[in-house]
Amino acid sequence: MFSTIDSGAVCGLQAYLVRVEVDLAGGLPSFQMVGSLGSEVRESRERVCVAMKNSGFQIPPCHITVNLAPAGRRKDGTAFDLPIAVGLLKDMELLTEEAVRDTLFLGELGLNGEIKRVKGVLPIVREAADKGIGRVIVPRENALEAAVIPGITVWGVGELGELIMALLHPDAENEKIYKPRIRAEELLQKKKADRRGDFKEVSGQESARRGAMIAAAGFHNLLMMGPPGVGKSMIAGRIPGILPPLTLEESLEVTSIYSVAGLLTPEQALITERPFYAPHHTVTAAALIGGGNAYPRPGMVSLAHRGVLFLDELPEFQRTVLDSMRQPLEERRVQIARASGVVTFPSDFMLVAAMNPCPCGYYPDRNKCRCTQPQIEKYLGKVSGPLLDRIDLCVELQPVDILHLQTKITGESSEQMRERIERARKMQEKRYAGTEYRFNGDVSSADVDHYCSLGETEKNVMEQLYHALELSARAYHRILKTARTIADLEEQENIAKEHLLEAACYRPSGEYWG
Amino acid sequence: MTEMERMYAYFICSIPMIGGVRAGQLLSRFGDPQGVYEAGTAGWREILSDSVVEYMDRQKKSGNLEEEYHSLREKQIGLVLQEEEGFPQKLLEIPDPPYGLFYKGKLPEQKQPSVAVIGARECSEYGRFVAEELGRYLGSQGIQVISGMARGIDGISQQTALLAGGTSYGVLGCGVDICYPSQNRKLYEELIQKGGLLSTYAPGTKALPAYFPPRNRIVSGLADALIVIEARQKSGTLITVDMALEQGKDVYVVPGRITDRLSDGCNRLLTQGAGVFLSPESFTEEFLRNWEEKQELSSPDPAQKIRGRRKSRKRIEKLEEPLRQVYKLLDCVPKSTEIILQEAWKKGEYIDIVTLHRRLMELELMGYVKQNTPGYFGTSAN
Repeated sequence: MFSTIDSGAVCGLQAYLVRVEVDLAGGLPSFQMVGSLGSEVRESRERVCVAMKNSGFQIPPCHITVNLAPAGRRKDGTAFDLPIAVGLLKDMELLTEEAVRDTLFLGELGLNGEIKRVKGVLPIVREAADKGIGRVIVPRENALEAAVIPGITVWGVGELGELIMALLHPDAENEKIYKPRIRAEELLQKKKADRRGDFKEVSGQESARRGAMIAAAGFHNLLMMGPPGVGKSMIAGRIPGILPPLTLEESLEVTSIYSVAGLLTPEQALITERPFYAPHHTVTAAALIGGGNAYPRPGMVSLAHRGVLFLDELPEFQRTVLDSMRQPLEERRVQIARASGVVTFPSDFMLVAAMNPCPCGYYPDRNKCRCTQPQIEKYLGKVSGPLLDRIDLCVELQPVDILHLQTKITGESSEQMRERIERARKMQEKRYAGTEYRFNGDVSSADVDHYCSLGETEKNVMEQLYHALELSARAYHRILKTARTIADLEEQENIAKEHLLEAACYRPSGEYWG
Repeated sequence: MTEMERMYAYFICSIPMIGGVRAGQLLSRFGDPQGVYEAGTAGWREILSDSVVEYMDRQKKSGNLEEEYHSLREKQIGLVLQEEEGFPQKLLEIPDPPYGLFYKGKLPEQKQPSVAVIGARECSEYGRFVAEELGRYLGSQGIQVISGMARGIDGISQQTALLAGGTSYGVLGCGVDICYPSQNRKLYEELIQKGGLLSTYAPGTKALPAYFPPRNRIVSGLADALIVIEARQKSGTLITVDMALEQGKDVYVVPGRITDRLSDGCNRLLTQGAGVFLSPESFTEEFLRNWEEKQELSSPDPAQKIRGRRKSRKRIEKLEEPLRQVYKLLDCVPKSTEIILQEAWKKGEYIDIVTLHRRLMELELMGYVKQNTPGYFGTSAN
């Protein structure tokens, strides 16, 4: 007897369909599995046999061969347990052709027949829907993420025996099968209390607040400089809350990454909030960028995709780790090459970095700071120029005045800031329609002059700034992009002198480094 | 003095542990430099300690004295000895004058007034501001600036003096062919062109902490007056002040706020009766008067002296609101925008961050404001 069952796998974020071919034949009893299998897939044999026995299905003593096609592609993960079991049951004539037709199976089996959650369900289901498959059967805990994809029936199941019963009697009402229905757009629009805090809780720090707003409006990378304990982390944590909400497409991208990384909770259908990741400064390059031996996993730069990656104490990070971020920052994606091939993960995040101005943190207050100039230079020198070149804005923070704390002078709330940022985003949407760009911060230096064109007076101002501040060509472009965002916040079509002057104030941090 | 004798004198100068006193003792014992050279270990031991004798012996055996001496010319390094004509007369008046002086560039002009400017290496923005103003003014008045070419106050005052078209001399604690600290390379080159570098240590001698106090004695010795810009309670600057007082030089001190740790040393000196430095102009006026009395020489053109201050007082009158309001919030100690904002609000002047940023940058373009540390705005010196 021979049967084929549809299943799927992911390589990076790329999903592809896998045909699980199961053959039962006479001869000496054996169980062979072929098709470029990783170790988890090879172990699948034991799980399947025991789970079937414990669910009450006795596998007859015969020659069993399982092939996962395309056989040339390496396969990892535990999601093939269920399709293999289903294939065997069909060969044993416990399931009909009818019952498994037009259906994709994913799931890991426990020895007691339980069906456990697996990684990468969302991209696989999306691929299945694209290929015209009508139904997917996934672990119950993965059902919500699968249901996000429109036009495909989703069954979430918790146990092998229950699944077989349901497959044999598809028309009967069966509460054991979870059939979630989700309208992704509604999920996105549902307002949730922002658990990350509101900007109105930040006292003082006007300049950092303004910097954060400009950075959020144009998706610029931001550097905050200031002594310890002035609220750098507090501000960074509130930036995702003022970024424009995720669009459906963006949300699906982010959810796919989380799905592949196995980070979605069973209650989560979609990631609806912008991600925020703050790795500790001892993080390794593999954890930050992504990696893994045979089966590359997304790193924090990808988990922060469309959100904020916050690096506190920037100079404390290993130099090699920081330098490894150059490609993700430049190309907005990460390529990880392994023996099995090259995997690409998106990594379009907003970098928010924070650091002290010197080892003790109080420079240039010479009453408190006794760091020598060479010490300061060495400290700042730990952050490489090419990384700083990608940072458009730099703001200074100061210890908050007692006046601010006592009188509770509050600034704009996140809600108010988001409204203005939303308007700036509309301006940018119009400008970049039909291009690869979405925000001013994305624009490459080759296109800056095109999108940030200046009038005669403004050109003059830029020339003066260029000489007065001894700008580099890169710094010049950074000022232009920032000025473009400032103009967008005021809904101005043209960049004016005022916008350039303000942009120059957020001295692109490269100047710190000589 | 013949070249031969100078060569042996060079040998004496090349031993860093031998200062003016020891050199004098050696010479009176053995007659002349050649005698000293040939006395050998047994003779030297009468005057010097064992470790110095050992060092000298190694030097004598290892180096080719003649070749080394002649290489001075190739390296464009001069050597002037105490008894020779070009030797700075002022150094002869101090206790323990050096036996010889190596130099690159020129030696200080003996008939011109000279002022030593010293202070902290890790100076504050206030110190930087005063050092710049002072250096520039002294340079424009043709007063020679003597200092140690160190980071901070020393280097800043020398650099600005040169920029203003003046001359300056750096006294080093290492050989004059070595640029220490290395980040002052530009100043080092300019000093050779427009002034000079001096050292009592032979070329090739690396800087050692022990070499700096003797160097400071030369700094104050070459000057007619000494100005201290910033010094902590315990600092090398105060050692130089002690030496200057011993040498009978006038010491002027820039007062600082009592809350600034970098001014503690200065304010202490003031309580002890040091001259108060109030502005480059008033200092120069007083200094030149004293100096002329001593020298009976004609002063530089007096009309030049009054420039500067008046100009800066007038500048604010040219500004219009709101630039004027913003400018008034600043002083010479740079502040970050956050601090400027807090101070304005405390005074009851409301200004928002966006306007502040924009107006500050406008003022910077107009030359009223300067950021020495990026993000920190202060009024510019000129």
